[in-house]
Amino acid sequence: MKVFKPLLIRFSVLALMLVGMNFLYQKYFLEKDIQTHSGVINKVRKALADSCEIIYLGESSNITYRADDIDKRAISDFINDYFPNKKIGNITKEATHAGNYYELLRNIPEKSSVKTVIVTLNLRSFDANWIYSSLETPLQKSMVMLKKYPPLYNRFLLSFKGYDVKTDKEREQQYKREWRKSKLEFPFPVKYTTVTDWDKAMFHDGIKNNDGSKNPELTSLACHYIKTYAFQIDTVKNPRIKDFDKIVQLAKKRNWNLIFNLMAENTEKARDLVGEELVFLMKQNRDILIKRYNQNHVLVVDNLETIPDEQFIDQNWTTEHYAEAGRKTIAKNVALVLQKFYPNDFKQVKYSNDKRQDFINDCEGFTIWGQMQTLSEEKPFAGMKSSKTGQEQDFSITFEYPVKNLPDSLSALDVSFQLYCSESAGNSKVVLEISGKDIEFYLKDKSLSELVHKTNEWEQITCKFKLPANFYQGDLLKVYVYNPDNTILYIDDIRIRFSVIPGDEEIKDS
Amino acid sequence: MVFNSIQFVLFFPIVTLLYFLLPFKYRWFHLLIASCIFYMFFIPQYIFILFTTIVIDYIAGIWIEKSDNRKTKKRYLVISIISTCLVLFVFKYFDFFNENMLLLSHKFGFHYPEKTIHFILPIGLSFHTFQSLSYVIEVYKGKQKAEKHFGIYSLYVMFYPQLVTGPIERPQNLLVQLRQEKKFQYSNLSEGMRLILFGLFIKMVVADNLAVYVDQIYTDPTTHSTLSILTGLFFYSFQIYCDFYGYSSIAIGCARVMGYSLMDNFRTPYFSQSIGEFWHRWHISLSSWFRDYVYFSLGGNRVKLQRWVFNILVVFALSGLWHGAQWTFVIWGLAHGILLVLETLLNRVLGAGKDREVPQIRKFFQVIFTFTTVTFVWVLFRAKDMSQVSSVFKSVFQNVGLQDNFHVEPKIWFFLLCFIILDSFLVNKRFDLWCGKQKLVPRWSFYAIMIFLIIVQSNVDNFPFIYFQF
Repeated sequence: MKVFKPLLIRFSVLALMLVGMNFLYQKYFLEKDIQTHSGVINKVRKALADSCEIIYLGESSNITYRADDIDKRAISDFINDYFPNKKIGNITKEATHAGNYYELLRNIPEKSSVKTVIVTLNLRSFDANWIYSSLETPLQKSMVMLKKYPPLYNRFLLSFKGYDVKTDKEREQQYKREWRKSKLEFPFPVKYTTVTDWDKAMFHDGIKNNDGSKNPELTSLACHYIKTYAFQIDTVKNPRIKDFDKIVQLAKKRNWNLIFNLMAENTEKARDLVGEELVFLMKQNRDILIKRYNQNHVLVVDNLETIPDEQFIDQNWTTEHYAEAGRKTIAKNVALVLQKFYPNDFKQVKYSNDKRQDFINDCEGFTIWGQMQTLSEEKPFAGMKSSKTGQEQDFSITFEYPVKNLPDSLSALDVSFQLYCSESAGNSKVVLEISGKDIEFYLKDKSLSELVHKTNEWEQITCKFKLPANFYQGDLLKVYVYNPDNTILYIDDIRIRFSVIPGDEEIKDS
Repeated sequence: MVFNSIQFVLFFPIVTLLYFLLPFKYRWFHLLIASCIFYMFFIPQYIFILFTTIVIDYIAGIWIEKSDNRKTKKRYLVISIISTCLVLFVFKYFDFFNENMLLLSHKFGFHYPEKTIHFILPIGLSFHTFQSLSYVIEVYKGKQKAEKHFGIYSLYVMFYPQLVTGPIERPQNLLVQLRQEKKFQYSNLSEGMRLILFGLFIKMVVADNLAVYVDQIYTDPTTHSTLSILTGLFFYSFQIYCDFYGYSSIAIGCARVMGYSLMDNFRTPYFSQSIGEFWHRWHISLSSWFRDYVYFSLGGNRVKLQRWVFNILVVFALSGLWHGAQWTFVIWGLAHGILLVLETLLNRVLGAGKDREVPQIRKFFQVIFTFTTVTFVWVLFRAKDMSQVSSVFKSVFQNVGLQDNFHVEPKIWFFLLCFIILDSFLVNKRFDLWCGKQKLVPRWSFYAIMIFLIIVQSNVDNFPFIYFQF
């Protein structure tokens, strides 16, 4: 007993010390750690700061666009078009799933402006390949600082790897085990009862070309479709079901309207490559999810078969990345369901097909062009942001436009923008790029060092490009600043204007 | 299971508490099961490989002791060594051997079948193989009685604190202790916990934070300036030291809490005044193993000069090979061997004796010189192949004026400086004992700072202990 007294005293001192440390940590270190490890929470904070009543949680399906999309906005932005009086908060992070959505939603305070939550329900996220993905370790890590424990304890969990840490090899073993062991049951006779067998058979027989030879690319894609979609959701064991169930419970507790947005999959390609058996499984899983969550009073938007093959951006892989029309279709379907909660705010939307020739981007993030990740708050000309290039970020925010959507008879292009450089522009250039199936890759540039006259202050840069004679044979036109140097350039307030009359002045192409 | 994981944070107090709650006769079993669980957190099925080694050497020990005939004893010893080393060879050296045989076959035009196994190296294989070998050798020498209790012997090889990365223990020290009843003592608890705290601090706050910068340099040395590369090399010296010293301290600390004393593995090696001294202070359990079982067997230094040089080079080359199945490790070992030989010869020529008083300033420069030499030789240890070694050294000379993006956060320098100052206090002392002598308030303030830094400032990326790969 003698030994217990000093132990008790020391443990008490230690406990007191930990309480003090928690206070210190919270006051001086926590925010930096949250920004470093769990930056996604900023999207939740922004939605709350904007007093959003509706929030949309998604992964890359929300924001991915095709270069030739005229309107590159996210699904959530398109949904917002139907409810112009409401602000929809966009909480998107690539590769996230219900487990992550739950943690993010849990961080919304009980008293907030949020009344409706739209959660992406991705069928693939129930598959072993995604559940045991190599991305799971970094995703789990990014959620640790958001857990409901005292901040110091969360940091302790992060330091001592108190989350699901596995190597890529271990993850691979996990999903391969599932493929080997999970039995597939069909109401009709099929040859294969596991993913492994089915995959092997597909690999062996292959997809045939017209001459009877095996097409290795299509065979590999068919195998991939099998490995991705050949599963049956076990509502008892599947961890994703538990995550979605937790979201349902949280929504009930917080009195939120809840919508699950079941994303479209490329059923056309699945049917063509593998056959009806695979589509049967996809539909069966869809039915399980809709039934389960409808019973829980969740509105499920069924988009599974709504997007045609050509609207899927990735033709050689299984993703939920849709081109503009596809994103608009999904948005419309969600908006129609959302209308039930906001009947008076719903407005029909008709997107204009007018051909434009004047484009402006203020680099604030509202107009989506290519290379949006270059937007930085470091040095704006006007507003809050500008596009930052240099130091291995070679390309500035990029104007990308389908040539077919431009008016006829254009022959020149005026580019103007604000530029800030601290030293000479070096090897940087303004570049015009035209590509397409029926045109030889066209690249023209103008050296910025010839156009820039000032350093350490903003300067308006203008230049003119003559469009090539065969311009209309191109598919996609791009304009950007290319900066291969270490010197940082900031670009803001970009204007791209096409003109019908090229002008008499000599246009010097370098 | 690794020491700096949440699993271990739970495992350690549970195992320790149960250990003291259980009657003495069940403790060996409890520790054996705990050690199995600890090991099986890595690749569970590899425990069978470990048991193969244990069974071989357990039987060999008994047979060696039983036989009266010296020749038969030797035969059993050789069989035991070969079988144990065979396991090591298959898992660690088979692919290396084949690659080199294949290269030779191409060069000299003979046929050699192209075969690789690509086994994942069982964690800590080199460590417990050597610990197992030391047992049979000691039994053969008659310095240790053969252990009849299979469970106790298994525990000797598998004792979880030092199972994966040592210290490589001798039966005279550990086996004897495993048969003793250990009572809970507060002093053991406090000393052990101090060592654990210290080990976690230098691994998680110092080594892992330095690792980020070292990795940057070694990813592509050609893109970094001379100064950045030299900083990277300097950091690696401390990364590997803090990483391994940290593991050893935690291991010794865990054992200490339960009342066991494991041998020290490090004694402030970077304050050594010569390469010879460095090897008396760095990875002591391994260098003394090679000294006792290889160097002395070859005749040690009681031989002619040429033979002594040969002995040194063999021992250091083997020591390099022990670390990894790569030529870089062999050359690293040889480099140390050559340096030691040159240093010894130079001392003989200059007549530098041990008894002569050396001025402090000279000591200081000797320490700097030894550290710098060791730092440059570490390049061989860290580089993935010889082309990377040459790339590092070329870049040191060629990239003098190069601009790069290598920026070290000031806090990293601060942590490193703290460690160097702390290490300077620990010359010829162990942290737990030194710390125990400090007054209550500074001591507890020190604990609080270390705990806070471990939680708040440790690197959150996954940097496994460097010596796990061996």
